[in-house]
Amino acid sequence: MSLTLEIVTPEAKVYSDTVDTVVIPTAEGEVGILPGHIALLTQVADGELRVTKGSATEYLAVSGGFAEVGADRVRVLAERAITEEKIDEGAVEAAIKRAEQEIRDAKDIDPAQYEHLQEMIRYAGVQLAVKRRRR
Amino acid sequence: MASTRDIRRRIKSVKNTRQITKAMELVAASKMKKAQAAALAGRPYAELMAQMLAALSTRVEDLQHPFLAKREVRTRGIILITSDKGLCGPLNTNVFKLVTDIKTPAKFAVIGRKGAQFIARTKRELLADFPANDRTSFADIKVVAEYMVKQFMEGTVDTVEVIWPRFRNTLLQVPTLMPLLPLSGLQEVLADLRSDAGLSATPTKAADTQMLFEPDAATVIESLLPLYINREVYQHALDAKASEHSARMVAMKTAKDNATKLLGDLTLEYNKARQAGITQEILEIAAAQFAA
Repeated sequence: MSLTLEIVTPEAKVYSDTVDTVVIPTAEGEVGILPGHIALLTQVADGELRVTKGSATEYLAVSGGFAEVGADRVRVLAERAITEEKIDEGAVEAAIKRAEQEIRDAKDIDPAQYEHLQEMIRYAGVQLAVKRRRR
Repeated sequence: MASTRDIRRRIKSVKNTRQITKAMELVAASKMKKAQAAALAGRPYAELMAQMLAALSTRVEDLQHPFLAKREVRTRGIILITSDKGLCGPLNTNVFKLVTDIKTPAKFAVIGRKGAQFIARTKRELLADFPANDRTSFADIKVVAEYMVKQFMEGTVDTVEVIWPRFRNTLLQVPTLMPLLPLSGLQEVLADLRSDAGLSATPTKAADTQMLFEPDAATVIESLLPLYINREVYQHALDAKASEHSARMVAMKTAKDNATKLLGDLTLEYNKARQAGITQEILEIAAAQFAA
């Protein structure tokens, strides 16, 4: 018995494959999912999502969303998600700098915009953490 | 009959116009492909969200949420999605007709410069306007949706509705008004999402296996519903983008075809004038010889 994992963001379907185990970062800590798990609906926190398939392990950075777990499938509805090999460290660092600069420069920044920038920085931080842990 | 020089000048200008409209048609066509693909890429997300909401609704009874509560409608809140640029045929005008039909007091949040101009010109109440650039990102639209939801929660507006040119196919865009808030019931929401995702309107299965919620059902629905609103507005914005580029491509194609036709007519006229000129000259030479 195996798990079908689907990770979908509003912009694209990021991941779709049959896997052995999935570890999801949630609001209350990491949840490891094996085939035959009880039905679960949980909020996904910003963090690292690990997928193992055979002996290979894949890492994804995810941010905000929900995960629905059934006996033979895991479906993640994330606001943002990216696989480890697609993370471009330089670009992410530049993005953090830009966002921080924007926060510093703007005097009376729109709260919504501020929130958005903070989110970008958090997600960028998650991406860096995922990328750098593997060294 | 106009002189050959005048006709030549007009031919030149029409040729230029044709070249420009042709270039614009090609640009719009390539953008249209991308926009249509983006609109379709949102489908899996819609499908998944429908299934999650379905899973929730079958297991949670008597939901209490401000988004679900009906209230007296004094002011309607409308998110109007238009384009930033013109030259896209009757696309925006058709959308504005729908706006003109609204007789009850309404406040608007507008995406796209054309819409903001229209609202300002017709002296309607504009709450906020946002640019509509070619790369519609979820984060940008989220700002718009969350702004409107905030107005709804604060009581500035009593509904949240979206007006946008719904994309049917390249030749057909239908201006559409769709109410978002209050959600008159989860079931309607679900049917809606399902039809968007191309599924049948009825839930496929009522899984009555027990389900765990983390942290708990109320918290999950508390954050899933706003996400649903954001996604819905985003999908409409993508849809509007696809409509815009389609409409522009068609408008430019028509303009190009008209230019080609005009060019044919002008060339014919030019040749006739030239022929007439030559005949005239021969006649004059012949007449001069006879006279000599």
